[in-house]
Amino acid sequence: MLTLPPVVQPLTTTIPLAVKRSLELELRRRLGDEQVASDPLDLYVFGKDSGLVRGEPGLVVFPRNTTEVATIMRLAGRHGVPVVPRGSGTGLAGGAVTTGPHVLLVTTRMNRIGPVDVENRCVWVQPGVINLDLSIHTTPLGLHYAPDPSSQSVCTIGGNVANNSGGPHCLAEGTTVNHVLAMEIVTSDGDVLSIGGPAPDPTGLDIRGLMVGSEGTLGIVTDVLVNLLPPPPASRTILLAFPEVQNAAATVSGIIANGLIPAALEMMDQPMTIAVERFANAGFPTDSAAVLIAEVTGHPSAVDAEAELVRRLAVSHRATLTRIASDEAERKRIWLGRKSAFGAIAQMNPDYYLHDTVVPRTRLVEAIEQTYAISKRHDIPMLNVFHAGDGNLHPLMSFDASVPGVMERVDAAGRDLIEMCVAIGGSLSGEHGIGMEKRDYMHLVFDEMGLDAQARIREALDPDGRLNPGKIVPQGSRCFDFGRPPPVGAWV
Amino acid sequence: MLRLRPTATGGGLGVSLAISADGGSGLPTATPETIEEAAGLMANLPAGGDRIRIHGGGSHRGIGYPVSSDVILSTSGLDRVVAWEPDDLTVVVEAGVLVEELEQMLASKGQTALLPEQPGTGTVGGAIATAISGWRRYRYGPIRDRVLETTLVSSDGRVVTAGGRVVKNVTGYDIPRLATGSLGAMGLIARVCLKLWPVPQASATVPVESPEEALEVAYRPLAVLETREGAAVFLGGTPEEVSGQAAALGAVPTSGLNWPSHPSGAVRFSVRTPPSSLRGIVDGLDPGWTYLAQFGVGEVTVGAGEVDLEELGELRGRAESLGGALVMLDAPPSLAGAFDPWGTPPPSIEIQRRVVNLFDPGRRINRGILPGRI
Repeated sequence: MLTLPPVVQPLTTTIPLAVKRSLELELRRRLGDEQVASDPLDLYVFGKDSGLVRGEPGLVVFPRNTTEVATIMRLAGRHGVPVVPRGSGTGLAGGAVTTGPHVLLVTTRMNRIGPVDVENRCVWVQPGVINLDLSIHTTPLGLHYAPDPSSQSVCTIGGNVANNSGGPHCLAEGTTVNHVLAMEIVTSDGDVLSIGGPAPDPTGLDIRGLMVGSEGTLGIVTDVLVNLLPPPPASRTILLAFPEVQNAAATVSGIIANGLIPAALEMMDQPMTIAVERFANAGFPTDSAAVLIAEVTGHPSAVDAEAELVRRLAVSHRATLTRIASDEAERKRIWLGRKSAFGAIAQMNPDYYLHDTVVPRTRLVEAIEQTYAISKRHDIPMLNVFHAGDGNLHPLMSFDASVPGVMERVDAAGRDLIEMCVAIGGSLSGEHGIGMEKRDYMHLVFDEMGLDAQARIREALDPDGRLNPGKIVPQGSRCFDFGRPPPVGAWV
Repeated sequence: MLRLRPTATGGGLGVSLAISADGGSGLPTATPETIEEAAGLMANLPAGGDRIRIHGGGSHRGIGYPVSSDVILSTSGLDRVVAWEPDDLTVVVEAGVLVEELEQMLASKGQTALLPEQPGTGTVGGAIATAISGWRRYRYGPIRDRVLETTLVSSDGRVVTAGGRVVKNVTGYDIPRLATGSLGAMGLIARVCLKLWPVPQASATVPVESPEEALEVAYRPLAVLETREGAAVFLGGTPEEVSGQAAALGAVPTSGLNWPSHPSGAVRFSVRTPPSSLRGIVDGLDPGWTYLAQFGVGEVTVGAGEVDLEELGELRGRAESLGGALVMLDAPPSLAGAFDPWGTPPPSIEIQRRVVNLFDPGRRINRGILPGRI
């Protein structure tokens, strides 16, 4: 079995063996042996998410309900052992990897979908529900859950909440935070708390919004009230191909400038298109520098005109192919191709490392050109697939980690990518989160006071560091003590 | 008309800032012209006389518990549009920019920040501090979905930036979302980056009999509103879509968005319920009150000359039992003391208190304004 060296060295903590044993004993007694795993193989298997960082939990627990989550939080707290929540482990930033022998709380057995409130178009779901299962469950009622990450057939709603996950269709519909109305959480103290509600604008601060994207560092989500949408009455999916990446990017800008926000605007470069086509046979042209998938949705009387506008703009930017999917089968094939991108990569090399950064949409071309330069500089092949509509890049490095020196080059290329995106006005992550992978890059986008504010949020909700320690906020961020500075002119 | 202006560099700090008396309250009022000046002012107020109240355009001054303060900080000098990137659909503005002027500027290139329609003297900072969404939220979501970056000035003069100037971002905790609706309790909201939307090519207002039925027929209209004068569906999209949707609704549309007036009266409040419960709430309103109900959203804004406390209390009880709230927007002083402006605090109130206390430990800015008197 291949073990990759960690990209980021985790902050490790040690737990005395006697404490670990006592906690395990109590957890087994309270939850039952079936709900607790401590076998070395289990600990190894659960030591990783889909990124490159590896840790090793001290114990793995599988609670079945909120009460059990609260019990775990309280028992672990009493023993001074932090708890790290995990869904399906599809995260790419090490957010669900333990930074020490902590308790890994796996939510996959909390997978109940509540009764659908059709009138208010919402439903309570437990965090372990698989994203796609939710839409499959609600489709007969004429409703679906909008955020659709490419991993939607395996990722959980709890994980989506933790990372504020997006997906190809978040351009017009928004990311997870725009679809979560309320939640129940277990706090770092083990208390159960209800946040948000079914009515708009609950009073006070939007703690619900703060929880989304907090990567399990502020509380453990045990139930989520999500918003559902009716499917659009009509949609058109358009496949476009261009001789240059610049033409595709200009088409994206042109579409937006014409006042049209499509449901999705996805781009793939030639290396990625070749890999995908070999894998999924989606009918993508492999001789073009860039392929763009645009989808417009809405009222039946609107979509044809919008699709025609997209087609016309593409032609004006030298498109060599403009094909509107003729039926649902063709539309599905196009999306299957797009969402298979990461599977396709597996054919090329044993390992891949998927990056996630975001730049202003107007800097897309520059970002892609620099990505190619970084790829060349470090001699690491990079394939590009990205949410072009919102400037969210996903350069994908393909490599064989068993070749000596490769991991160092992958690491260096990753650093260059992040620094490049920040330098052109972008940010560290669009939808995958900070986790451990990007924690030590936070200073690139936040100054001291910005980092201090991040640390204060953490301190407000988890003062003792019981939840997912070592994530998001770099060590030493909390550097300012509040208190009035001395008045000007005072002797200090 | 607003013009794009570079951010002025801070000259002197707050100590040299002119402080004038506020006409209404008689309190000293500072009007910093840069974020640095605001920070300097906050850091250098004398201890013991340092409770700060923030004033924007004054359109929503009635929200929250009454605040006693020693000094007023007006955002009217923070009036720059710092950056507008039409192709990125983002704009960076300071707090004191008037909503109306910003929207006029954005409209010149066919864009909108979807800030409240008919804002009066309202400022961008005020809209964000109060989290008052525009009526188009049924289609586009609430205001906090569009606040991408905030720069806060804390009560001890620190300048804290969070979020980023990109439309999709999960870098760090979502402090912009927390600041939206914070009424300044996490710091003066001095500068924000907002996500913009294109203004639809065509729009129309379609009168309808039943908002509920209209919501079944129309596909994602901008808004479905009802007042005492009647109900209407507000449509936006391509000309084909707007005319197609209007035809499906079976009524003669008027071109453009003919927004109704805000309900007026000495007493104004907002009732929030799950969308399907709104009809019950609206039908139970006192016939002497005016209202504007947002169907599909679940909010009704009510205006009244005077109210019976018991009647108001019963209405709040019903809203809260449905998982909603009744929030006072404006009340005469006699009512302000007798009727709680927020109602039952949410269960997360202690978390809210801890967050606020870490951002403003002395609770100097708008102290006690939030639910739970935070």
